[in-house]
Amino acid sequence: MAQLIKVRPTKIELVKLKRRLSLSSRIHKIMKDRLSILTMEFLQAARQTVTAKQHTIDAMNQAYKAMTIASGYHGYVALQKELSASQADITVTAGPRNVAGVRIPSLELNEPTGGLRGYNMAQTSSLVDSASDTAREALRAIIELAELQRGLELLGTEINRTKRIANALEYILIPNLKATIRFLAMKFEERDREEKARLKRVKVILARKEA
Amino acid sequence: MHNPDFPGDTQSRYDRLVESYLATELRLVNSGLPSAQKSLSTLLAEPQPQISCADGTQQMIKRSELRYLSSLLDPADYDSLLLPMLIEMAGQHSEATVLCRTETELTLISAILEMHLQYERPGRFRIYKPQLALVRKKMPTTTQYVFSMPTANQEYDGALTKHREIGNN
Repeated sequence: MAQLIKVRPTKIELVKLKRRLSLSSRIHKIMKDRLSILTMEFLQAARQTVTAKQHTIDAMNQAYKAMTIASGYHGYVALQKELSASQADITVTAGPRNVAGVRIPSLELNEPTGGLRGYNMAQTSSLVDSASDTAREALRAIIELAELQRGLELLGTEINRTKRIANALEYILIPNLKATIRFLAMKFEERDREEKARLKRVKVILARKEA
Repeated sequence: MHNPDFPGDTQSRYDRLVESYLATELRLVNSGLPSAQKSLSTLLAEPQPQISCADGTQQMIKRSELRYLSSLLDPADYDSLLLPMLIEMAGQHSEATVLCRTETELTLISAILEMHLQYERPGRFRIYKPQLALVRKKMPTTTQYVFSMPTANQEYDGALTKHREIGNN
């Protein structure tokens, strides 16, 4: 049920209310647009997250499998000795991206240039190369999943907030403004009618006096 | 200060609060707009591609995405493609308008969607929601939404179109 806003019943207030109604309706349209975009992005992110999660699990499985085969072939100690020299810092470029006003983190693994692996390729087999490739793929998948999951959380929170604003506008603010405008319009019409009746009455009295 | 003789005073303070809140929301919605667009060739040359936003923050552009875009275009078009591309939402939930300065944007989106697109008006073409989802999936950091208020003229145009559609049916 719409409630009347307490305003002085003047024409200026009516004009102000009409302006406010027009502004609120436009903002409501923008909020609806934003909500539909955020929902679209959320659903897309949710679908991508499911795929990325599966991809991460597969990549990790493959990485562990390849590592086990490589360590079985070379021997665990020999492999560890060989790979200890290849340890390098992983660099990830991180920064925000803006999706309809929501700042979502964006992550990207920096690929090493030159294609050097950091271990002696002459003394190791292709099994180690394969393990290295699959491990890198797993790392890429983890970073992608991290980005998507955080984005999903932030989008979900923002959807809730935007929905509340859009609903407040749709079900409270705009109906209240409309009801108040209708009430003021009725009040002015009533005033006009009263004024007309008063004038008629005065006219009759004056006519009687003249007679 | 609240004046009991004029209950409208308290209300107007409340209204001012609501209006300022809504104004903040509007600012927030368009906070990601770029202060200046950069060409694809400039971004490819940068060690860490970034775009400055209107609110003073920096938006990161993924290098992998730039590589993907460059694979779809002729190297001669790298200078004419300005990023991030702007997608305008103006009160019509089912469609969006891509704002473009050159033909390159149209060529690029046509290549991504694998369909022929054409200008609706000079400098803008229309795509629909499923197409928008696909474009955003392929270009998450190189596109940006613009939320604009429908002007009275646009509302009139929309009403006129609806009226014509009803007439045709």
